[in-house]
Amino acid sequence: MPPKSSKAELTAVAVVGVFFIVILPCLNAYVPAGSWLHVSDFTINVYGKYLCYALLAISVDLLWGYTGLLSLGQALFFSLGGYMMGMYLMRMIGSLGQYHEPIPDFLVFLGWSNLPNFWKPFNHFVFAMMMAVLLPSVVAAIFGFLAFRSRIRGVYFAILTQALTYAACLLFFRNSLLMGGNNGFTDFKFLLGYNLNSPATQRGLFVCTALSLLLAYLLCKWITTTKFGKIQRAIRDCENRVLFSGYSTANFKLFVFVLAAIIASLGGVLYVPQVGIINPSEMAPDRSLEAVVWVAVGGRGTLVGPIVGAFLVNALKTWATRAYPDLWLLFLGAMFIFVTLFMPKGIVGLPAQLAALKRRFFAPKPAAPKTLPAVIERTRAIEQRPVAKPE
Amino acid sequence: MRATREGWGFCSTPLSRVMRSVPNVLAAGLALLLCLRAGASPAPWSGASITNIVRHELAQVVLSKGTQRQALLDALADSGSKLAGEVLKAWMTQGVYLYGAPDGSTVPVMLDSQQDAQGRARAIRIDDGQPLKDAAGKELRFGETDLNPANTDLRLRRAIRHVLDTLALADPDPDARYAAATKLGNSQNESYLPLLKKRLAKEKSAYVNKGLKGAIATLQLSDTDSAVQIAAVEELAALSSIGSLDDLTQLAANTNNSPQLAKAIQFAIGSINDHIKWVNFFGTIFHGISLGSVLLVVSLGLAITFGLMGVINMAHGEMIAVGAYTTYVIQNVFGAGFAFSITLPFSIAGKPIAFGLDLPGLNASGWFYQSYFLYAIPLSFITAALVGLLLERAIIQFLYRRPLESLLATWGVSLALQQIFRMVFGANNVQVNSPNWLLGHFTIDDVSFDYNRIFVIGFAALIVIGTWLLLSKTSLGLLIRAVMQNRSMAACMGVRTNRVNMLTFAFGSGLAGLAGAFLSQIGNVGPSLGQTYIVDSFMTVVVGGVGSMLGTVYSALGIGTADQTLQQLTGSPVTGKIVVLVCIILFLQWKPGGLFAIRSRTLD
Repeated sequence: MPPKSSKAELTAVAVVGVFFIVILPCLNAYVPAGSWLHVSDFTINVYGKYLCYALLAISVDLLWGYTGLLSLGQALFFSLGGYMMGMYLMRMIGSLGQYHEPIPDFLVFLGWSNLPNFWKPFNHFVFAMMMAVLLPSVVAAIFGFLAFRSRIRGVYFAILTQALTYAACLLFFRNSLLMGGNNGFTDFKFLLGYNLNSPATQRGLFVCTALSLLLAYLLCKWITTTKFGKIQRAIRDCENRVLFSGYSTANFKLFVFVLAAIIASLGGVLYVPQVGIINPSEMAPDRSLEAVVWVAVGGRGTLVGPIVGAFLVNALKTWATRAYPDLWLLFLGAMFIFVTLFMPKGIVGLPAQLAALKRRFFAPKPAAPKTLPAVIERTRAIEQRPVAKPE
Repeated sequence: MRATREGWGFCSTPLSRVMRSVPNVLAAGLALLLCLRAGASPAPWSGASITNIVRHELAQVVLSKGTQRQALLDALADSGSKLAGEVLKAWMTQGVYLYGAPDGSTVPVMLDSQQDAQGRARAIRIDDGQPLKDAAGKELRFGETDLNPANTDLRLRRAIRHVLDTLALADPDPDARYAAATKLGNSQNESYLPLLKKRLAKEKSAYVNKGLKGAIATLQLSDTDSAVQIAAVEELAALSSIGSLDDLTQLAANTNNSPQLAKAIQFAIGSINDHIKWVNFFGTIFHGISLGSVLLVVSLGLAITFGLMGVINMAHGEMIAVGAYTTYVIQNVFGAGFAFSITLPFSIAGKPIAFGLDLPGLNASGWFYQSYFLYAIPLSFITAALVGLLLERAIIQFLYRRPLESLLATWGVSLALQQIFRMVFGANNVQVNSPNWLLGHFTIDDVSFDYNRIFVIGFAALIVIGTWLLLSKTSLGLLIRAVMQNRSMAACMGVRTNRVNMLTFAFGSGLAGLAGAFLSQIGNVGPSLGQTYIVDSFMTVVVGGVGSMLGTVYSALGIGTADQTLQQLTGSPVTGKIVVLVCIILFLQWKPGGLFAIRSRTLD
């Protein structure tokens, strides 16, 4: 059943996966620093960050590329996961903070002497991870239920998710939420007893992130090839037909929305210990839009596309913000316009697009006049585009 | 072919009814304003001869002694002259000097504020306002220690202060008179009572009258006679004087009060608190409506590009910023000029690429400078419309059938524009000065109305009416509505849809530019100005019902008022905003199509 291209894709993913999970960390750990093969700690850290972004991008693509729901709020779920991890990491600082108090510094600064109750369970890693899954999925479930129930879709869905992120961003900027205000959480020391500043811990986190990304990829790949995936794409192409075929599209969409929230949150959980800071600006509306750019550049509707996009755009950003700090945003804006106008399938779709161009310009055109039967044939071909078949 | 009008919320009856009653409301408001003005301005006290008399009296009072001096001071107090106030104030702080003229006479002078390199300044004669000259007619210059200051003693200073207070109460500006009365009322010095009473007898302005009565009553609160106290408390209750609430609360804490007095105080405090509630209520509504008007102006352009055309223009916020920056440039052109230059970090044939602009300034001043805003309004519309036109031709025309992609591409435009603003105008906020005629406020019954907020409300109304007229009364409007309702059908009828799209988008962007000109008067102008409003304005359009102008009007005013009220209730602007956003999400559960959803039997 899976077409040939899918096999080639899986092979490529396996090769790249081995490269990231085994070879890169080994090159970092065992090759001496002088060698040209050596991968610096900095590189490992930066790539680890890109891998987290790739998780976020996959979650955007699962919604936008496969289900046709453009969510401008994925950065919210990413940051929620990050905040949950951050709360655990803040507790692990212990009394090593600036004030040498057993509670986080910002609480001391706000005049607290005891830990607020909702902070207490975050001493446990397992609880923090549970919350990192639960909180985003509950937020996504409530919002998704309300939105899909009243059939908010397309542009309206995009705008509402943006408003949701904006509201959450404003909320987290407040000190009275006791989540660090606009400084957020930083200055982490330990994760499960390992020193976060040691290269070995960072390497371990890198391997974890690469593995999670691989798992997320495989999960999404599996989902999209099942019957469920078919309905998903049918919803994207023509929701009303699916609805009239007797499917409750709202439930399908809700499931995908919650799943995407969890994947994004996973990205956030792994992002925070590697980057060492989480603050409300991570959930500002433009962060979500940036994630959409990665997907658009990489190629939506494919699962490799978002990963490629997240890597390339962020690598470009890392380079350009240093080389041309003033012009980076101009680059990004121009790239975005260009991709939307001329590369609707992104980088992944580029070979097919170029092949089509080549055919158009270099292949000799058959001199067949457009007769009525030919037009009918074309119309029929359009009519018979694959749509979900009722059970 | 005429497009059916029913689909257009703008043309439905409620608004037309509102439109018809608008002139009446405006006329009433204007009449009210005129009344206020007429009541407030007493005959101006001016004229060259009178100034001369005052100058002469001032010179006399410095030189005279005893009862003659007191009589002169009283005369000056009655004059109400600003000049007298200035000179007397200077006298108290040893700023009036005595110059012994060669002919043996003594001339009182003041030193000019402009000093030369040696710290010396011209001496201005108090008696005629001319600089002091020597026999050859050359201007004399003195340092501060070269002359003897005209000394004052305690008694004289007290007398001068009395004159100054009287003068302040006689100031031609009613606001200044009111402020002076309030200041004296809060002085807790009963010796001011006769002064205030004397002024009350003369005062014509009802507004200042109220202030004077309040001041008198506040002073009488500390009277020893209980009957006077009760009368004062009752007077304050009748005046609903907010300023005296503290004094009353203090008096209420006094245990020696007679039962009648205590009762009167309780009543007065209750009635003043009620009054404060009403003042806050109307203040909130006024602020809400003005915020709503801002939202309205900001979202009206979006209601056209997004609501009518279905284009998600994320760069709409940057169109607002274009308008605001245009206002800034016009202001600078009226002032010292505007220039910028950018050097790109690339080079062609060894030469770095650089471009820039240098607009010379008109160096205008006075009324001409103040009028820059009148020129900035149409220019900001035109500039933003041109940018919008360019945007439509270059990008959006290819994306009419792909709304989600238009969102992404325009976001790219928004990023690029923000960066361009940063490069041209700097990353910090720029200073846009409001013209004088937009500053200040007037007060009706303790509720203060700022001129710029009133201007915002009036301007929003004008723009709405203008847009409505354009859409419903002109042939362009007819074409716009036809194309927006059914693009292919309109094209079949021979409408050049391409051109109509172009003009509509330019018009929507121009409205955003107008909004920017506005926002420059009430907020900061910076590269991220547009980002502040983009989420709000999309919400406004969605709540109002996409495609319905009337819905946008209602939802903007509603969201504005709700925002202000919730800010008052929750005590924090952020919480208010969050609650509003949550309410909007819940509201869309109830009415997914917004307030005025266009009914249609088609599904997608």
